[in-house]
Amino acid sequence: MGQVFSFTNIFGKLWGIDKEIRILILGLDGAGKTTILYRLQMGEVVTTKPTIGFNVETLKYKNLTLNIWDLGGQTSIRPYWRCYYSNTAAVIFVVDSTDKDRIDIASKELHTMLKEEELLDSALLVFANKQDQPGAMTAAAVSQALNLTDLKDRSWSIVASSAIKGEGLTEGLDWLMDVIKDEQL
Amino acid sequence: MSLEKRIRNFLKGPKKGETFELKSGLVSQYKGERKDAIQRVIQAMTVGKDVSALFPDVLKNIATYDLEQKKLVYLYLMNYAKTHPELCILAVNTFVQDTEDPNPLIRALAIRTMGCIRVSKMVDYMEIPLLRTLKDDNPYVRKTAAICVAKLFDLNPEMCVEFGFLDLLKALLKDPNPMVIANSLNALYEIKDMNKDPNLDVLPITQDLIKNLLTCLNECTEWGRISILTTLTDYHTSNVEEVNHIIERVIPQLQHVNPSVVLSSIKTIIHHLDVIPSQAQRSTILKKLSSPLVSLVSSSIPEAQYVGLKNIRIILEKYPQILSKELRVFFIRYSDPLYLKLEKLEIMIRLCNEHNSSLLLSELKEYAMEFEPALVLKSIRSIGSVGINLISCVVKSINLLGDLIDQRGGDLIINEAVIVLTNILRRYPGKNDLITLVIPIISNHIQELEKSEALSGYIWLLGEYPKYFSGLKEKLSSLLEGFLEYESSLQLNILTTIVKVNLKVPGQAYSGLLQKVLELTTKECENADVRDKAYLYWRLLSSSSDDSQQKVILSKLPPIKSTVSSFNPNVLEILIQELSTMSSVFHKPAFTFIESPKATEKKRAGSSARNIEDLKNLAKQEIINNVKNENLLDFDDDDDDNDQNGESQGGSSNLLDELNDLFNTPTVPGGQSSQGSGSSSANDILSLFNAPNPTSVNGVSQGVGSMNLNSQPKNNTNSDILDLF
Ligand SMILES: Nc1nc2c(ncn2[C@@H]2O[C@H](COP(=O)(O)OP(=O)(O)O)[C@@H](O)[C@H]2O)c(=O)[nH]1
Ligand SMILES: [Mg+2]
Repeated sequence: MGQVFSFTNIFGKLWGIDKEIRILILGLDGAGKTTILYRLQMGEVVTTKPTIGFNVETLKYKNLTLNIWDLGGQTSIRPYWRCYYSNTAAVIFVVDSTDKDRIDIASKELHTMLKEEELLDSALLVFANKQDQPGAMTAAAVSQALNLTDLKDRSWSIVASSAIKGEGLTEGLDWLMDVIKDEQL
Repeated sequence: MSLEKRIRNFLKGPKKGETFELKSGLVSQYKGERKDAIQRVIQAMTVGKDVSALFPDVLKNIATYDLEQKKLVYLYLMNYAKTHPELCILAVNTFVQDTEDPNPLIRALAIRTMGCIRVSKMVDYMEIPLLRTLKDDNPYVRKTAAICVAKLFDLNPEMCVEFGFLDLLKALLKDPNPMVIANSLNALYEIKDMNKDPNLDVLPITQDLIKNLLTCLNECTEWGRISILTTLTDYHTSNVEEVNHIIERVIPQLQHVNPSVVLSSIKTIIHHLDVIPSQAQRSTILKKLSSPLVSLVSSSIPEAQYVGLKNIRIILEKYPQILSKELRVFFIRYSDPLYLKLEKLEIMIRLCNEHNSSLLLSELKEYAMEFEPALVLKSIRSIGSVGINLISCVVKSINLLGDLIDQRGGDLIINEAVIVLTNILRRYPGKNDLITLVIPIISNHIQELEKSEALSGYIWLLGEYPKYFSGLKEKLSSLLEGFLEYESSLQLNILTTIVKVNLKVPGQAYSGLLQKVLELTTKECENADVRDKAYLYWRLLSSSSDDSQQKVILSKLPPIKSTVSSFNPNVLEILIQELSTMSSVFHKPAFTFIESPKATEKKRAGSSARNIEDLKNLAKQEIINNVKNENLLDFDDDDDDNDQNGESQGGSSNLLDELNDLFNTPTVPGGQSSQGSGSSSANDILSLFNAPNPTSVNGVSQGVGSMNLNSQPKNNTNSDILDLF
């Protein structure tokens, strides 16, 4: 059986057909990661529960097969993020723009994560989420709070988004695809 | 791919070996490769390789729409959850989602796996999925969830009760699906065994429940039937109508191919039988049990036959007539393993009656000609048992034994036959015809007697029936020749026999021997019992009247009744109740080898710690004593006891410290052990004698034994013991 599989795999590899691009969605709990994942995949807003563990969905986007992992953001689960780093093309970091109290924690988690060797080459897309809420920080304010300009040798971008309204998501993803397309194929 | 990246990848370490290959397969960017890798991981796992290091990477593949892949990952999870308990949390999200999957197989798989992950953290996340699956539309999911309740109870009994899972489980006993009912019943039994709360009625067995169970008995799998039958034997009623109904429903189960179902059915019927008032009806029902019992012995698996035989022996003792026509079934087959042959013999001698005795004896003769010594010995004993049980067969038995000695001979057979022949004479004392038959056989083979049981039989016969032996004097003197080399039981026997012969045979013919044996025993014999008995005889013979001598020395022993062992009636009652369990194989009531969880819990909480403490004290005391003794010798110190902390005790205190280090187990509070080393050996002694449980060592080891049987986590006791040794 293994033989047959390898055979089809070789074909897949040659043409780059079935290749999946791994993308992680990270961020503190309640930032909107799960909502974003299913908004992207199904185009609708699902009711979510705190994610104990992870969700993973595959979706086709502009002829690419994306394998998007949404990891739980609770303090107890954050240490396990590293189990998922290998072979990751890009990280989508989601920030709850209304959660000013925890923006510093978010910043710290982001920078710790980006120091990981396995993620040195991953592109970074930040969603300043929940823009539909009154009093949400602007993308620029979030960018500053996260010290994004400190990032060297990395393709990054920040996009204001609302998962509920579906705003900013495609825009962000388009940017991401452009960055990683060349490298993956 | 940039050069820099390639270099870094290259530097990452050796990229070979099976684990590395599997690992990169598991996180491959190609679906097919991932599945392939999972299959190879499972393959490695099933042949016993340790692939637990791949846990996080396998786990990543659990969220998939590919049913086959999901099953494999679940399989892996169950196997290795113990080695990575903390990582299991990462699977929770998927578990919970899977319990809502449209496919019932996945729902069941998810809840089953969740239950199998024996991690206390998992309990927090089980509530919602378990509630959902217990109420699932699909019976397969419900029956799986039922078992999970028992597992949850094991991890967290309080939560299981508080969140209403126990009640939900009880409610499932009324489920329309028999499989769900059977599983719920099983789960409730497990919970009942684990339960330590005396106020919690886990499984109330009501008339309604019984009615319900009887209805679905026939539709269950074999294991479900066994659970139901077990419940039926836990039910007590004096309502004749109800009992008739139960028996009526159970009788068809006697035909089942699974011997355990058959045995459980027999047990159920026996349990309720006594309620039926009519003797005739009872014996009609009993007759129906005979062919199912016989079917237990026709299994092709010797172990199963053995278990059947062990159970049959118990039933036979309660109902001796039940198999009276079935002797042939128990005949030994050449190919039977030895343990089976021996157990069959046990049954055969119990089935022996006037009608089948000649058949049995000729069969036993065959076995006595066999090759295995244990079988030969037991066959000879059995021939004796037949003669002892049936007076009509006694001559035949004796002749058969004589024939065996003549035709086959050999020390083994001769010694065993002499033992058996002596027993026969003890069963029928003073029968002239039997004595004249037996004694010549024995007399011909005195030289070959070496087993002490055989020798003492012969010696006893010399004293009991002296006039039947020719050359009595030589026989007795030859016994005296090697007298001091005999073991003391034989010496006692020879002494008594010579004293008896002196009283029985008139005149002074044997007074020389008497003189000699009394001198040997009082002057040269080292054994105090022998000496005492000799003095006793001596005084009796020299000071009391002939009449009282006769009375004391020649009093008759009561005849033996049987050489076939039987159970004490109380034990038999328990064994009947515990048919078809380990008890019936051990022939011991369960409480003698399994502790109830309540008792175990007490022991674990209280005395296991204390037992260890006792052992430590005992060992310490021993060493203190030794040290003290030495000190006494060295210093001749009178004030030793009051001077515990003085210089002279320095040596012993140091030693004690070392000792305490040796015994220092993590569970022992430091204060206690330092107290031991500090001052009072007197305290230690006191605590030693105050210990409420003198069999401390047994207590602990029993705990360990029952741990294995119950498979309950009892690491506490276990590790204590390990630490100790
Ligand atoms: N108003 C608003 N609420 C959002 C948005 N995105 C997510 N949420 C809500 O935030 C809560 C947490 O979302 P969830 O996706 O579970 O966060 P996660 O823990 O990061 O996965 C949910 O109640 C969502 O409905 C958004 O863009 N605007
Ligand atoms: Mg989430």
